Amino acid sequence: MTVSNQMATGPRSSDHGRIVVDHLTKTFGQQRAVDDLSFTVEPGSVTGFLGPNGAGKTTTLRMLLGLISPTAGTATINGQRYAQLAEPMKTVGAALEASSFHPAHTGLQHLRIYCAAAGLPARRADEVLELVGLSADAKKKTKGYSMGMRQRLGLAATLLGDPPVLILDEPANGLDPEGIRWLRGFFRHLAGEGRTVLVSSHQLSEVQEVADRAVILNRGRLVKAGTLAELSAGTTHAIVRGPALAPLVTALQQAGLAGNTEPDGSLRVQTEDLAQIGHLAFANQVELHELRLEEFNLEQLFFTLTEGAYQAQGFDQPPPPQHQPAGAHGTGAL
Amino acid sequence: MINLIKSEVLKIRSTQVWFWMFVLVVAITTAATLGTTLTIDSSTATAGINYFSIWTNFGTAGVALVVLGILGLTTEFRHKTITPTLLANPGRWQLLIGKALAFVLFAIPYGLVCLVVNLVVAVICLHAKGFPVQFSDGSGAGMVRNFIALILLAFFGLGLGALIRNQAAGMVVGIVYLSVLNIFFAGIPWIRRVYLFEPAGALNAFTSRDRNNYGLPHDVVHVSPWAGGVILLVWCLVLLVAGGYLSLNRDIS
Repeated sequence: MTVSNQMATGPRSSDHGRIVVDHLTKTFGQQRAVDDLSFTVEPGSVTGFLGPNGAGKTTTLRMLLGLISPTAGTATINGQRYAQLAEPMKTVGAALEASSFHPAHTGLQHLRIYCAAAGLPARRADEVLELVGLSADAKKKTKGYSMGMRQRLGLAATLLGDPPVLILDEPANGLDPEGIRWLRGFFRHLAGEGRTVLVSSHQLSEVQEVADRAVILNRGRLVKAGTLAELSAGTTHAIVRGPALAPLVTALQQAGLAGNTEPDGSLRVQTEDLAQIGHLAFANQVELHELRLEEFNLEQLFFTLTEGAYQAQGFDQPPPPQHQPAGAHGTGAL
Repeated sequence: MINLIKSEVLKIRSTQVWFWMFVLVVAITTAATLGTTLTIDSSTATAGINYFSIWTNFGTAGVALVVLGILGLTTEFRHKTITPTLLANPGRWQLLIGKALAFVLFAIPYGLVCLVVNLVVAVICLHAKGFPVQFSDGSGAGMVRNFIALILLAFFGLGLGALIRNQAAGMVVGIVYLSVLNIFFAGIPWIRRVYLFEPAGALNAFTSRDRNNYGLPHDVVHVSPWAGGVILLVWCLVLLVAGGYLSLNRDIS
């Protein structure tokens, strides 16, 4: 059944909690902000929506939520476009920016307005404020809120209708370390409740800790999507340490394995096959002090896949990854 | 729709703007009524008193209701609350209708307060000056029309805000149009002929005693007061639909 057919016949039970972006395109004048983007967010999964600034993440989320009209393609939640949802706040909770508050409203008033709009009891506002740790500031005007408090208030608003689907755009923006720590716990809480969560974030380590899947975007196009295990496939490296690795380097080259020598003298070999490296070391009588698979690092994968996105920015370079891709620094390749 | 109206009324009530607007309309109405009644010469015969203008004086607070209406949608864009508002109510036309109904509901107590303040101040002043209190000269119907006009002006402001979207620009346009441009239009010969068909002219027709329309010259196409009300209502709807089409159909980014 195609997406359009689903919309004609209403949502299917199997679509419950599923987000489908199908050939979505948005053009602003001459600029193609989102270009033929397709991906699916599976029900009950936590999906990181990643990409550098200007990659089209926010535009995609706004199209998904019916705030921006797509030039082409469709985006559905539960098999329906957002505008077609009978009870949107009970289906989807969305936090798009941390400044969508009337400065003269208190946090409690802000939430009660949307409780009224969704036909929810006013006490639900107090409950979600408690959940995000803002009860003490409930009657404070939002103009006096810090960025962290604004983020929390935005997240509280997403939970008003207790929706199974949550869409969060850069919820970690502007948070201090304590706020980041709180957000990590909040993500864990949401994931533990089995909600479908689509979260765009630059806090890749936070996303990696709770996400099952990731969708990586660059210049409006899909770069890669899948489970973290799928994304890590082919990017796994083995780390080899030892006092004299030169014979092993030769043996690895002869075996056709790619990699490089790190500044600390260790080898970083592009393979998941530790047994093969162990065998080559044994056969060449090389003493090994360490042989292990490098842990998957979403941040490293992100910068590898979006390489070049920051070239024109001059300053404001991304932080260097812990382990740069093969051949990226001055030490010799294998 | 009821939830939407409740939410919109709560939005208006949650800030102090409604209170200060309330103070403003009471102040404007009181000042206008005092100005009309206290300036009547004590030697004027009862038959010479324009009771219609005394009892319908509360319409002068209309500009405050236009401003309140303009704030209805422009505030959403200014503070970016249009995003959570549309997330809660993705139907944009439904949102606009809900807002219009909420503002109609909210304008009713304003209109009633203006009417009562005018009534009380006028009765006190008439008594103080020794004039009898009379509701002659079509005053009752005039009061009803002025009350409806106040509600329509809130509606008009909402449409103007939807069309202009920028809060400051919306208020300047609304106030300048009603207070300055409207008077210019009434004075330009080739516009004056159809003056009563533009919104402020229709408002004048609606709140006037009869088809004489405040003694406008004969080259003006005169309309009956209720026809003026219908013309004003049509303008409100046109502004709301045009504003909704231009403003709400845009991408919210």
